[in-house]
Amino acid sequence: MASSIHTTGEYGIVNITTHFGIPNCTFVYVPDYTRVFEMVDNKSADVGVVNRLFGILNKGKYDVVETSLTFNPSELKFAFPENASINNIIIPRIDYHMTKLMADGDSIYYQSINRYFMTGVPVVEKIPDWLVYLIITVTIVGIVFISMSIYLRRSVNQKNATIKERNRIENRLRMVLGELSIAKEKAEDSDRLKSAFLATMSHELRTPLNSIIGFTGILQQEMVGPLNAEQKKQLGMVRDSSTHLLNLINDVLDISKIEAGQLTPVMASFDLRASIEKCIRTIQPLADKKGLALEIEIGAGVGTFISDQRRVEQIIINLMSNAVKFTEKGKVRFECNVDESNVTIRVIDSGIGIKKTDMDKLFKPFRQIDTNITRKYEGTGLGLSICKKLVDLLGGNIWVESEIGKGSTFSFKLPIAKGMP
Amino acid sequence: MNAKVLYIEDNEQNLYLVTFLLKTRGYEVLQDHEGQEGIDIAIREKPDLILLDIQLPSMDGYTVARMLRSELDLKKTPIVAVTSYAMPGDREKALAAGCTGYIEKPINPDTFLNQIAEYMQIAGHRGNA
Repeated sequence: MASSIHTTGEYGIVNITTHFGIPNCTFVYVPDYTRVFEMVDNKSADVGVVNRLFGILNKGKYDVVETSLTFNPSELKFAFPENASINNIIIPRIDYHMTKLMADGDSIYYQSINRYFMTGVPVVEKIPDWLVYLIITVTIVGIVFISMSIYLRRSVNQKNATIKERNRIENRLRMVLGELSIAKEKAEDSDRLKSAFLATMSHELRTPLNSIIGFTGILQQEMVGPLNAEQKKQLGMVRDSSTHLLNLINDVLDISKIEAGQLTPVMASFDLRASIEKCIRTIQPLADKKGLALEIEIGAGVGTFISDQRRVEQIIINLMSNAVKFTEKGKVRFECNVDESNVTIRVIDSGIGIKKTDMDKLFKPFRQIDTNITRKYEGTGLGLSICKKLVDLLGGNIWVESEIGKGSTFSFKLPIAKGMP
Repeated sequence: MNAKVLYIEDNEQNLYLVTFLLKTRGYEVLQDHEGQEGIDIAIREKPDLILLDIQLPSMDGYTVARMLRSELDLKKTPIVAVTSYAMPGDREKALAAGCTGYIEKPINPDTFLNQIAEYMQIAGHRGNA
C-alpha cells in the first residue's frame, strides 16, 4: 500500500489534497470534461482532474499525463492484538498478502481491477434499445426515402427528356408531313395537268389522223378509181406511217391512263391457250417476213385463267413483236407454263441482246436504248414500259435476262386467283 | 327509198370522208356543222340514222344526243357517236347521253360501212340502203 492510494468518486481529489496536506487548493466544479481542459488551457485553473476513461480517450488531444494515483482512499479498519505493533506485524502482513495477490494473475485483486477498468472500459452511457431501433429504423426509412426520391427525380427527368424529344420529333414530323402534303398536291396537280394534256393531245391528233387513214383507205380500196402499182405502194406507205402514228398515240394514251390510275383491269375467266394462239396468229406473218422460226411450247396445264384477257394479250403481242423486231436471224421461242400459283410466260429470242447497264432503263417510258438502234428498229419506245405497268396492274412481275449478241429472254409471271381452277 | 343518214360534224375533212364512204354504199347523207341546226334537221327530216361528233362548237355532242332523244319522233332513231374522245369513260358517257353506239376515230375505212350497216339493222333497216 506504500505507493498507492485507492480512491473512488469526484470527491477523491478533495480527500487526497487533505491527506497529502497540499495547502491553498481551491476546487472549481464544471459541468463537463471539455470545460476542464479549456480552463487549464487558458490558465484559469492550475490543474484539471478528469476521470480515467475520459483522460485515456483524450490523451493525445490534450497532452494528458497519466498517473497511477487513485483518489479517495478507503477508510479501512483493522483489528489486531493489543500488544502487537502495527509497523512490525500488521503492515508487513498486509503487504505480504497484497504481494501474493498481485503475483497471481487470477487473484481477486486482478479480478477487481479487470472488473472496473479493463472489461468495463466503455462506461459510456448506454443508449437505450428503443432509441437504437428508432435510429436504425429512421436511418433505414431515411435511406429508402432518399433513394426513392433520387430514383423518382431521375426517372421524372428521364421522362421529361423523353417527352421533350418526342415533342421535337412530332413537331419535325408535322413539318415534314406538311411539306409532303404540299409536294403531293403539287405532284397531283401536275399529274392532272399531264393527264389532261395527253387526253387533249390524243383527241387533237386523232381528228386529222382520221382523215389521213380514211382517205388513204378510200383510195387503196379503189373507190375513186383504179391505181397503178407505184400509187398502191406509196399509199401503202402512207397507211403504214399513219397506223404507226396511231399506235404511238394509243400507247401514250395507255401510259397516261395507267399512270392516272384510270385503267382498271377487267378480271374474268378466259381460255389462255386460245388467247395465246390468237396472239401467235398475229405475230406469225411478221416472223415469216423476216424468215424467223417461231417455236411455241404451251404447257399441258395451261387452260382457263382469270385475268384481264385484253391486257394479257397486249403484253404477249408486245413481247413477241419486240422479239421479232430485234432478231435478224435464228428463232423466237414462246413458252407458257403453269404451276399451282403462277402462270409464267417466256419469250426467248436469238437477237441482238441487251447490255447489263441498259436493263434498268428498259422498262421506263421512251427508252429505246441505243439511238442508232432506234433508227433501225422503229418503235414507240413505250411497249416495255406499258408491259411492265400492265403486269404490275395484274399483280405479277416481269423481268429480262440477256446476253449481248446472243439474245434476250423476257419473262412475266401472273398469279393464279386463289380458289379458282 | 334510200336510207337517210344525218351526220353532225364540225371538221370539214372528216365530214367529207364519212359522207363519201356513206354515199358509195348508196345512203342519202344530210350534213350539219353544229348541234342546234343538226337537231332542227333531224326533227324535220327524221333520218334513219344519226352520226354525231362529240366535240362540237357551242353545244357538245352529249347535249345534242340528249335533246335528240327527248324528241318523240326520234326516240328509236339509232344515234352513233363518232368521236376521237378515247379516254376511259368516254364511251359510257356517250351511251348515257342516249347514243346507241360509239365508233372511235380514226375510223377504219375497211370496216366502217359494215359497222354502220349493223346499226341500221338494229334499227330495223336493211343492211344496205
